[in-house]
Amino acid sequence: MTKILTIAHIVWLEVIRRKDVYVLLVLMGCLLATLVSLNVFGLGGVVSYILHIGLLMTWLFAWILAVNVSARELPQEEVRGTVFPLLAKPVTRLELVLGKWLGAWSVVTAALLLFYALVMVVVLARGGYARPLVLAQGFALHSVAVGVMAALAMAFSTRMNHDAAASLSYVVTAASFLVVPRIPAFIAIESGLHANLLMALYNLLPHFEVFDMRRRISFDYGPTPWIAFFEALAYGLALIVFLLTLAWLAYRHKRFSRAAATNL
Amino acid sequence: MFPSRQGAVRALDGLTLDVKPGQVFGFLGPNGAGKTTTMHVLLGFINATSGDARLFGANVRESIARQRIGYLSENPDTYRFLSGHELLVMTGRLFGLGGKRLRSRVQEVLDLTGISAVAHRRIATYSRGMMQRANLAQALVNDPDLVILDEPTGGLDPIGRMEIRKIIMDLRSRGKTVFFSSHELSEVELVCDRLAILARGRLVAEGKAAELVAPGESLEKYFMRVVA
Repeated sequence: MTKILTIAHIVWLEVIRRKDVYVLLVLMGCLLATLVSLNVFGLGGVVSYILHIGLLMTWLFAWILAVNVSARELPQEEVRGTVFPLLAKPVTRLELVLGKWLGAWSVVTAALLLFYALVMVVVLARGGYARPLVLAQGFALHSVAVGVMAALAMAFSTRMNHDAAASLSYVVTAASFLVVPRIPAFIAIESGLHANLLMALYNLLPHFEVFDMRRRISFDYGPTPWIAFFEALAYGLALIVFLLTLAWLAYRHKRFSRAAATNL
Repeated sequence: MFPSRQGAVRALDGLTLDVKPGQVFGFLGPNGAGKTTTMHVLLGFINATSGDARLFGANVRESIARQRIGYLSENPDTYRFLSGHELLVMTGRLFGLGGKRLRSRVQEVLDLTGISAVAHRRIATYSRGMMQRANLAQALVNDPDLVILDEPTGGLDPIGRMEIRKIIMDLRSRGKTVFFSSHELSEVELVCDRLAILARGRLVAEGKAAELVAPGESLEKYFMRVVA
């Protein structure tokens, strides 16, 4: 466990020193301040919309951060050539994959906490409110969604370079967000092969909508029933385990390119 | 055997080396001879098509086999966002070191490699020579019995080369086994107890430099003759 934590610690130091989180935090602060001060669409005074848009931004920024950080960790080790001295130590490839994922997930979750705190500061300053229990549930599920995104990007990055892994992860996660919840409606009007293909797609892509509690938080719909909450949590954890297993299987016998490390 | 468009390429062929404990063993060969591939097989990065590599009695694929070795890769880059001190602490933790033992070992290695004064600066601000010494320091933090160095002086100026040479001599005086590859024949001649020459994946010479080279012949001429 010490080895996994040490590798995760290196990921933390890298992300913090690259200042990715600060940039997104400042950007979010600016967007929220603009939203409040300019009274966009006349909604400046409606706090629930500020909260809703703020939460949308936390999803957007956490998505960018999770995919970017996770997709670059393993390929970067190869390009930099540090994978050789790292694996020359008593570190297994499974520990390397788990350490990288843990580092990426935990640092993005910490950033997520800052994003939520910033949104809540703005909302409270405008006289708004969100139930702490609903907020806590929303944050926990959001954190699990971030873990799934990180595991997906990491699985792709075991066999692709950073750019390709990040692009593919963005496409898959965006499709999961935007298309998957609408697939049942399409299946209802299709038949035969089309319906079967849509059903396969529906089952294959991750269902990020189960982790999304923005409406419940913004419009005070009350907490998610605990059964549904734990089901979503279990689904997310199962997805993470599945994706990390795929990542490890793809990575355990991978031959690293010396050309990448020596820029030949 | 590696697959290629021209068919399978035999990168190494029946290679057996005799490296005694406490020796500095030089591993020579032209580019593409298979030196780094040998080291990668030894470290378990790639599997040999036949035969197996064992270190201290354990299969190199098992992480425990790497507990007593230190490795410096041919690539000089490292985690530039860390300081030299942080790099060594992280490396020590990967070897299971902690507490007082880790702190004293880190300081010892910083002193040995001569980077104590810049230990708390980011590696990104180091010169090439200092970066190489930081890399060498991470290879020594676990106090290894076997140190594998892949072209440790590559790209260094004469002063940097001399400093690395001094560290290798120091390791020998402490009874460590050093296995290193280099293109610098004069350097190999200076520090190695024994050497081996590899060409096209085959061992073409092995022994003490003084025994291999004919009277009046330089190591360079000998090298050119046997790899031709």
